[in-house]
Amino acid sequence: MNDKLQLPNLDYAALSPMLILFGVACIGVLVEGFVPRRIRHGVQLSLSLLGLVAALVMVIRQGSKDDVVTAQTAVAIDGPGLFLSAAIIVLGIVSLLLIGERSLETGGAFVAQAAVTANTDADRDQAARTTGATEVFPLTMFALAGMLLFCTANDLLVMFVALEVFSLPLYLLCALARRRRLLSQEAALKYFLLGSFASAFFLFGIALIYGYAGQVDFKAIDTAIQNSANDDILLYVGLAMLAIGLLFKAAAVPFHVWTPDVYQGAPTPVTALMAACTKVAAFGGLLRLVYVGFHRTEWELQQVLGTVAVITMLVGAILAVTQTDIKRLLAYSSIANAGYLLLGVLSVSERGLSSSMFYLVAYGFTVLAAFAVVTLVRDADGEATHLSRWAGLGRRSPLYASLFTFILLAFAGLPLTSGFTAKFGIFAAAIDAGQTWLVIAGVVSSAILAFPYLRVVVMMWLSEPGETTPAVSIPGAMTAAALVIGTVATLVLGVAPSVLIEATEHAGIFVSK
Amino acid sequence: MTAADVLLAALGAVALGAGLLVVTTRHVVRAGLWLVVTLGAVAGLYLVLSAELLAWVQVLLYVGAVVVLLLFAVMLTRAPIGASDDLDRVRWPGALIGAGAGAGLVALFADAFHWSRVGLPAPGTAEAIGGAVFRTWVLPFELVSVLLLAALVGAIVVSRPDISAGPRSDSRPDPRGR
Repeated sequence: MNDKLQLPNLDYAALSPMLILFGVACIGVLVEGFVPRRIRHGVQLSLSLLGLVAALVMVIRQGSKDDVVTAQTAVAIDGPGLFLSAAIIVLGIVSLLLIGERSLETGGAFVAQAAVTANTDADRDQAARTTGATEVFPLTMFALAGMLLFCTANDLLVMFVALEVFSLPLYLLCALARRRRLLSQEAALKYFLLGSFASAFFLFGIALIYGYAGQVDFKAIDTAIQNSANDDILLYVGLAMLAIGLLFKAAAVPFHVWTPDVYQGAPTPVTALMAACTKVAAFGGLLRLVYVGFHRTEWELQQVLGTVAVITMLVGAILAVTQTDIKRLLAYSSIANAGYLLLGVLSVSERGLSSSMFYLVAYGFTVLAAFAVVTLVRDADGEATHLSRWAGLGRRSPLYASLFTFILLAFAGLPLTSGFTAKFGIFAAAIDAGQTWLVIAGVVSSAILAFPYLRVVVMMWLSEPGETTPAVSIPGAMTAAALVIGTVATLVLGVAPSVLIEATEHAGIFVSK
Repeated sequence: MTAADVLLAALGAVALGAGLLVVTTRHVVRAGLWLVVTLGAVAGLYLVLSAELLAWVQVLLYVGAVVVLLLFAVMLTRAPIGASDDLDRVRWPGALIGAGAGAGLVALFADAFHWSRVGLPAPGTAEAIGGAVFRTWVLPFELVSVLLLAALVGAIVVSRPDISAGPRSDSRPDPRGR
């Protein structure tokens, strides 16, 4: 062994987006300690936004360079990786606008002291008066940086660490809702316990794959699948366990049970962050795993993932029909959308990759706009999420009801919205890959899923406003900006999708080194 | 049958038996102490397999820190020290899942490796592992520290009752004061 330790070659320019975000998160922790409480929120918010913009600039600068695999084989910065990183950063900026909003409720959407016992006088007092915790900003930054790493991780071990880095802050953020503390705490605990369980499966899967291939990086696994003498049973059991860990994060049936409870209990801005960014990260990781590491098991993968996709689409759509809470409805819709995305994953083709990436971005913007509207419909007790309270909203505030109608139509996949373009791309890729029966199931579930969306639309416009119908708050500048960005993106990606489609196709394929 | 095989089998039996006692005993404290035996036997297995550093880390972290933490938790909370009947849950589901997972793993490995003999890799000395951690795995290693920082911040946020209590005022603050 050498006397001098030889460090691996680190390409700092390629790693800079996630390094910037990790740096900003660490500075945010220091800000908590040293900046006076009065100005802390403003400092944290501008610091986080600046960091995200800087990271986006670095991603775009890296876009014109060649693909690199750096830190030995740990991180692969390639076309799809950069595209997904940029998507996470942009969606993260919009979610951060929602997280930073403080004009809708005194002190923002987050609780000041999470340890105060729920439903006591102290709890009611702090819900009404105190300003929320500003630690949410560093935690969000940690989560976003972890997501960037997850999309570009080139071996299973880095992937596992990244999975934990972005999950842990999300578990914590779920527990910080200002109102309905018990629901929020329950959501966080449920997410944490089930998430750790899924992580354990993922880790066990890594061990089995290591037993099979003798390596954990995707290229070596691919080579081992080609010419390993080991029994394939290790490979398949290991792959199944990896899939359980990833499908849990992606909220696919039968690993979806946490989704409605967590979406409902978490503070709405955090729900928006999870629905948009976590989805991109989870599917980004799944895409790289399947396309680089395990594409030679395509045939078996398509059987299993195809079954999961069909169940996910149908169960998500059917259970969405029975929901009476808008956040739970959006959760089941997110589950069904995970099913559509799985179609893109199991196509295992260039077209499948580009259409999945388009879908992730289109869905992310729409879902952010949807949750932005949810934060606005509120009364004295916070957000009014029960669907009966939304009856007659069209009469009370036609503008927001129209916006929400447009968003729901985009979810349903009507033409001239991004939902249509995205679904069309995914289904076309799946038909190319010969998965016609999956596409039929997808179309059927889309038709079922249109029913709950249209029911909300009918409720908003055709019912008389009752006494309990809340007024819609005037949004602060940041929520308004998030809402406008989300809605405009939904419209533009529906009317003129060619720019983004070209970008997804230009991104090319995953690097395999 | 070499001496290593005999040692592996003996240590494995000790780990398994002690593990069984951890879940069947009625004393919380005894369960913790049986856990020491289990984890110690597993450390012994690592030693036989020539992974020295791993064995000592196992002793330091699991036998040393985790079990001591567990016993402190028992002492600091008002958990019963003597035998308690409410420790036991319904046994069948647990036994079924445990035995099923164990049998499944045995079948999986027996099927995958067909009793083939695998040569021992290079001994896992501190030098070798340190080199690997700081050469091949330096990025994930550094990221684990980021994860710990996030966990620390999070632990403070969810547990400390007096933190970030903002300015209290009876009047509604300036709605645009973000």
